[in-house]
Amino acid sequence: MALSRRLALLALLGALVVALTGSIWTVLAVNAVLLIGVAADLVLAGSVRSLRLSRSGDTAVRLGEPADVTLRISNPGTRRVRAVLRDAWPPSAGVARPRTSVDLPPGERRVITTELLPTRRGDRIAERVTVRSLGPMGLAARQGSHSAPWRVRVLPPFTSRKHLPSKLARLRDLDGRTAVLVRGQGTEFDSLREYVPGDDVRSIDWRATARAGDVVVRTWRPERDRRVLLVLDTGRTSAGRVGDAPRLDAAMDAALLLAALAARAGDRVDFIAHDRVLRAAVSGTSATELLPALVQAMAPLEPQLVEPDWEAIAAEILRRAPHRCLVVLLTALDPAPVEHGLLPVLPRLTRKHRVLLASVADPRIAEMAASRGDAEAVYDAAAGARAGLDRRRVTAALGRTGVTVVEGSPDDLPPRLADGYLALKAAGLL
Amino acid sequence: MTTVTSTPLDPRARDRIRSLRRPTLVVGLVVIAVAAITYARAGDSNAYLDPNAASPAGARALRVLLEERGVTVVPVTTSPAAAAEAGTGDALLVDTAQDISAKDLTVLAQSRADLVLVDPSPSALPVLAPWLQAVDTAPDEPRDAVCTLPAAVAAGRAVTGGLTFSELATHGEVVSLCYAVDGAATVAQARLLDGRTVTVLGSGSTLTNDQLANEGDAALALNLLGAHRTLAWYVTTNTVEDTSGTASLGDLLPRWVYPTLLQLFVAVLLLVLWQGRRFGSVVTEPLPVVVRAAEATEGRARLYRRAGARDRAAQNLRAAALARLIPLVGQSRAANPAAVTEAVAARSGRTVPDVGALLYGAAPADDAALVRLAHELDVLERMVRHP
Repeated sequence: MALSRRLALLALLGALVVALTGSIWTVLAVNAVLLIGVAADLVLAGSVRSLRLSRSGDTAVRLGEPADVTLRISNPGTRRVRAVLRDAWPPSAGVARPRTSVDLPPGERRVITTELLPTRRGDRIAERVTVRSLGPMGLAARQGSHSAPWRVRVLPPFTSRKHLPSKLARLRDLDGRTAVLVRGQGTEFDSLREYVPGDDVRSIDWRATARAGDVVVRTWRPERDRRVLLVLDTGRTSAGRVGDAPRLDAAMDAALLLAALAARAGDRVDFIAHDRVLRAAVSGTSATELLPALVQAMAPLEPQLVEPDWEAIAAEILRRAPHRCLVVLLTALDPAPVEHGLLPVLPRLTRKHRVLLASVADPRIAEMAASRGDAEAVYDAAAGARAGLDRRRVTAALGRTGVTVVEGSPDDLPPRLADGYLALKAAGLL
Repeated sequence: MTTVTSTPLDPRARDRIRSLRRPTLVVGLVVIAVAAITYARAGDSNAYLDPNAASPAGARALRVLLEERGVTVVPVTTSPAAAAEAGTGDALLVDTAQDISAKDLTVLAQSRADLVLVDPSPSALPVLAPWLQAVDTAPDEPRDAVCTLPAAVAAGRAVTGGLTFSELATHGEVVSLCYAVDGAATVAQARLLDGRTVTVLGSGSTLTNDQLANEGDAALALNLLGAHRTLAWYVTTNTVEDTSGTASLGDLLPRWVYPTLLQLFVAVLLLVLWQGRRFGSVVTEPLPVVVRAAEATEGRARLYRRAGARDRAAQNLRAAALARLIPLVGQSRAANPAAVTEAVAARSGRTVPDVGALLYGAAPADDAALVRLAHELDVLERMVRHP
């Protein structure tokens, strides 16, 4: 049950009537009339309980893009339902207008569209639909709630998509479509074809020429069908905010760009997210299915405030990658966790695999290191310099174990990681 | 694009009423029990000299004793009622310790009944017993009657006290003064010309439940009060009524004000209920951790500043500058300071001791020196980059 503004205003008007008559009996009479009105409204209001609600609409949306969820509401009862309806979603679902008025004659149905503009990645679950059905006089309303479950998965935005065309162009330079005639590192035998003027004479295959009776050259192309394993660290260092979003989101962006690129390059991409336990995994997916599978797997991931268990992560990597592959560790380059957790297990990984470590750097630290002016700024600079020196030390230690380190701000990291991958591919180090 | 249907979350009205049945029953029983207990204990009060009160200050014991002797005790609370209940031959007990209005006193003075005044107030004594004047007060203690009043003589030694009285000029009344203290009496009785008696007790404690058993108190009280058919017991507590003073605020306000205020209260209550009703439950959401990634570095900067750690700050700034300078001047990381200093000096065009002091010198003495050091390192680096 809920009372209306109209009832309160009528009671105020009643005060005027009471003031004019000046009798205590008028008070009783006015309130008795109001009470009867409220009772009549409650009895005559359309039933909320018997309403039928159903939902349909978007189940997944990229962060930053709008989603529509429609709510179908039908009135199987015999009374008209004049109601205000609240479709309750969590705040970060970004529902602009959660309340709607509906007028439902008996036997009819209405469709209400709730527009969502989510502000965070993850699953957004519709809470409940509350209906306030007003009586014919508008003095009081019946109120009740229905559970109409719906889930909208908010996917990572993949803002680094814009870098994909340029990186693909770089890839084509390496790829067989611009066949290279020079054998080198990172290339494999592609095919034999007839010599055309202009071809490098050093690429003539004399044995084949002798057999065919025509001059035949060998062509080469970059290696294909390599394996890439993306390892996303969801431990405590991934929770740190860089700018507006946690490190984890920037790492996801970089992972998505690399995955898109590697899939085009013909490599097989697997993915795991791990802190102390395995949080998500994608493996054995075809190139066309890869990106949707990855964003679905990444969407519900949240940073966990625990120290990642690198022993377990290394074991998981070795279990999932029995053959040589490129292991991309998306983590932070903080000295303590790397020196105590990651470095001891790295030899086991580098013995078999090529390891690339990608870290989201905080531009704020570079900004601090460059600050000058007063004492406060210089102390900031000293702390920033210390952080820079620590990272340099850790990077050097990682380099000694054969790990390539790529570091960049949230905007720079995805293209840099893609470049790092392309460089490895060009060098035939995959 | 799948579709799901809804389920209602609230119970049916029928179920709600059913679930409320048991609590309503319990609350109803409690209300009935409280009402019953309140009704049963209605007679119990702690009022002084209340004929219904069983408390130490009450006078229920005396009332019971009087009723056993056939006296009808009628508690009254207003002076007209008192005058109406007590006619000729009856007794009227008045406890005037409380203030009593002049109008009430006039009504009582016109009564045809025998009066027993207990602890009379200064305003009551001149109207109801003008032949007496209050002298002093005396503590409650056992005293001998020492008078010719039959009731007192028969009772003998009794605990009396309170106000003491002496006799003023009389107009034919026969006044007996009993239980004397320093020449004044704590109990006095006057027989008027029309045969009525007016008895004055200095203190009501003689009549109370806890004092009645002392010495001859009970006998004195029964002798004074028990000879009548009806006893109107006028307790003036809570009957104070001031009609002579100025009018109260309520009398001055127009009569429509209170009903209007009441209706306004109802309206405000309805406004509160309208605004206070929640439109479904609040939706909660676990929020992500908000820790800036640079938090630890900023914390370190604050620690440096608070501790005044100029040595460490300078060491960090120099190490960072060296890390950038060494590759620029073509030295290896493991090169010794002398070689690095010489190479930097040669490249930048500054003197070797100058560069040595800047890169490997002592810690700055104060914050100003630290700021200067940072600036000079920047300048040196620029000079090396652009000689």
